[in-house]
Amino acid sequence: MLAQQLFNALVLGSVYALFALGFTLTFGVLRVINLLYGFYVAAGAFAALVAVQSLGLGLWAAGAFGVVTAGLVAVVCDFLVLTPLRRAKAPELSSLIVTLGGVLLMNSLMQIAFGAEVRRFPARLLSQDAIAIGPLLVAPIQLVIIATVFVLVAALFWFMERTRLGTAIRAVAERPDTAALMGVNVGLVVSGVSFLSAALSAAAGILIGLDFNAVHPYMGEPMMLRGFAIIVIGGLGDIRGALVAGLALGFLEVMTAGYLSSNLKEAVAFTALILGLWLRPNGLFGRASGKRA
Amino acid sequence: MNRRTVLAAAIVSAATALSGQAFAAEPVKVGAIECLTGLNAKYGTMIKPGFDLALDEINAKGGVLKGRPIELIYEDSASQKEQAINAAKKLIGRDHVVAILGPTLSSEMFAAGPVANERGIPIIGTSNTAKGITDIGEFVFRTSLPESDVLPVTLKKAQAKFGIKKVALLYSNDDSFTKSGFDVFKETLDKLGIEIATIETFSTKDTDFSAQLTKIKSLNVDALVVSALAEAGGGLVLQARQLGIPKTVPIIGGNGFNSPKIAEIAGDAAEGVISGSPWFIAKEGAQNQNFVDSFRKKYNMDPDQFAAQAYDTMYILAAAFDRAGEADSKKLRDALIKTENNGLLGPFKFGADRSPATAEGVVVTTIKGGKFTLLQ
Amino acid sequence: MMTTLDDLLWSYQSLIYGLGTNAILGLSMYAVLQLGQLSLGQAAFMGIGAYTGALLTLKLGLPFPLVLAAAAAAPALAALVIGGPTMKLSGVHLAIATIGLGEVLRVAYINTDAMGGALGLSGIPEKADFSIIFGLLAVILAGFILASRSKIGRACEAIREDEDAARVMGIDVSAYKMTALVISAALAGLAGALNAHFSSFIGPNEFAFETAVSILSFAILGGVTTPFGPVLGAFVLTALPELLRPLHDFRLVFNGLIIVLVVIFLPRGILGFRIRRTGKPPPC
Repeated sequence: MLAQQLFNALVLGSVYALFALGFTLTFGVLRVINLLYGFYVAAGAFAALVAVQSLGLGLWAAGAFGVVTAGLVAVVCDFLVLTPLRRAKAPELSSLIVTLGGVLLMNSLMQIAFGAEVRRFPARLLSQDAIAIGPLLVAPIQLVIIATVFVLVAALFWFMERTRLGTAIRAVAERPDTAALMGVNVGLVVSGVSFLSAALSAAAGILIGLDFNAVHPYMGEPMMLRGFAIIVIGGLGDIRGALVAGLALGFLEVMTAGYLSSNLKEAVAFTALILGLWLRPNGLFGRASGKRA
Repeated sequence: MNRRTVLAAAIVSAATALSGQAFAAEPVKVGAIECLTGLNAKYGTMIKPGFDLALDEINAKGGVLKGRPIELIYEDSASQKEQAINAAKKLIGRDHVVAILGPTLSSEMFAAGPVANERGIPIIGTSNTAKGITDIGEFVFRTSLPESDVLPVTLKKAQAKFGIKKVALLYSNDDSFTKSGFDVFKETLDKLGIEIATIETFSTKDTDFSAQLTKIKSLNVDALVVSALAEAGGGLVLQARQLGIPKTVPIIGGNGFNSPKIAEIAGDAAEGVISGSPWFIAKEGAQNQNFVDSFRKKYNMDPDQFAAQAYDTMYILAAAFDRAGEADSKKLRDALIKTENNGLLGPFKFGADRSPATAEGVVVTTIKGGKFTLLQ
Repeated sequence: MMTTLDDLLWSYQSLIYGLGTNAILGLSMYAVLQLGQLSLGQAAFMGIGAYTGALLTLKLGLPFPLVLAAAAAAPALAALVIGGPTMKLSGVHLAIATIGLGEVLRVAYINTDAMGGALGLSGIPEKADFSIIFGLLAVILAGFILASRSKIGRACEAIREDEDAARVMGIDVSAYKMTALVISAALAGLAGALNAHFSSFIGPNEFAFETAVSILSFAILGGVTTPFGPVLGAFVLTALPELLRPLHDFRLVFNGLIIVLVVIFLPRGILGFRIRRTGKPPPC
């Protein structure tokens, strides 16, 4: 049973990590608690669903479609809603509230467009039968999740370290004003981050939609709370931290439910958060920042 | 100044007297509070067509009280209890409705029920199955069978058929309806002498049950007993089979499993899932067939249990109006207690506690080929 | 004629009471924002107050004033306990940690049968009324206005601007922060108990993340430069879903749109334009 539980933890942790990556990027670079992030989970899932049902695309093509669509939607939304605030140098909290209004607006529009009922991806997309690998029983979707997350994370790290835009993003995350002085096109970076993080969020949404076989307008909300905990534990803006914290949270939740009591599963995320803040307030990999006078 | 006042008074009294003549076709106002938006909209958006279909049929045949159509005023509670309370107050205080249908959720009824009860307006829940609903007051009714009537029937039949001795009991612990279901399941399992190997919980919004299910698999139980809403339930069934819990271990569900969504979400994995219900789509009889056909034709989708219950309740309300003889809330209340109906849910009347009197119509169903059929 | 007016008022009663309790919640948020502290525990404190109040009324039948006092005291005590550790946090860390408090409590309520578990507590008698709610609101508001005009107000502004400088100038920053947290908790608890005593029912899911963000938005929308700001923000955001009722399906769409537009065009909040308090100009 232990092997199976560990595998369960890997799958769950991968989804959490994927979601947290985009979330921490948004926060680290845009310095905004963007509540719309949860909406992009559903947006991606619905876009992929439409791709499968109306355009007849297969699994991977529909997935790519969903991810790209959500990214574009995010660029537009974030631009409309966050840029005016940035220009007015508004207090940080206004971004939180404006995205609150935004998520209310977008979720309702989505419900009007698609209806409140739960939809599912057609069963033909992916085989539902479990495969036996050693002592484990593995569903194909679980393999898809692990593979996808692995590839996306590797791609993200490569992108951030080795491309110009990635370096520019890291520069803006560190010091936006200096980066601008150094000739970085901050507007482009912001759009790039909006696109990237929403794309990651959408990917998480599509995977959840496939795994759980249910797609509905509010599907992103439960992830948001865990996302908060993960990005704080991992360190705000730190993508390595988000990856490790996401996997760790998946592990903790599964072990708690499997070996302690499933009643406690919901409390794991925030208990871990409180411990994390107590033991490592700057995140898993953070360096203590001295207070400057 | 004085002459004008007298003239105004005269006109007003004349108008009032004249309007008395037009009384015959004046609609009877009834309010309905449902979750039309928000997290639980999927239930409200099935209840509304159930009401509407019955309403159209009743009004087409002349309405109630010798020719008065029923006017149904909907208010959305957006799955929030404050809004359910505000909706009740608006319907009673501003729209002056004679009765209220709904609210959708048990938690909303606990909030809005006292409001209607205090004002002497009958309020009829069509989908509340938690314990203690009608204890709120003597104007509070419900037409939905409480879990305590349905679940024992389901368990007894399953035990008889499969020889179940040891089970795993799962439920979502953050919803009042599924928690009530769990309480009933546990009590019944104890009474039937079935051993509960483990009790596992999850959240209504959870999408991953692998930890709990892997643990359960290692315990070699005879069946899984689950109290959950349709989404979580469907996902759970799917994951249970994927993790290798064999079909020889049946999954028995509570009221939330009476939705076609279970089969939709779980696909093949849903084969053999057992639940109990006073109604299911393939129930025999011309009345049900007509209902299902009309529903499909008008709304382009299959009705579910919520739609059927709403439909029956509208007919029960109409019958009660006719029995009461006038659109008066107190008389309506007294009439409701005595009203009988033979509808989609079988023979119906209210018990002394204003919940359904019998559980006669309950059948135990199993999913075969993606559809609900009777468990033999 | 009289019955229609009575009916009208009664039908809006919950809404009106809700305006009052939400205004108190807005002020409880204001108390900590004054010091630049993004502590979002108000929803959790509200929950503690609501459950304390409801349980005292339902199980012990205590008189209402006593119940209210206890409902304010319980979360205040909780604040004293968590105040110490959270003092070290700031900004977003503090926000997320305090939201976490609400979530942990939610799980606790669900798993405690004595508190009704997932079914919550129902049948709470209606003991709150217009004069109690708005009377308390007026007193609290007056308190804030007086405080902002006094040395306390100046100290708060100093702390908000630059914590270290304030400390160097001799202001006991920790004491101010703790006091603000305790006051914020007491006010939130009070609002929670008042709410419980006119909603007749409370459940564990009402005092978590969404509520915390909601309370924050009362303060931000109205503006935090004057105590009237959060009150106005609360009034607007509470009334909006009810005012938009005629729009049916599009209600939440417009609700969201209005919030977005207000924040974009008035980023400092509706009453944010009052940047300077009235008072003597600083000496040259």
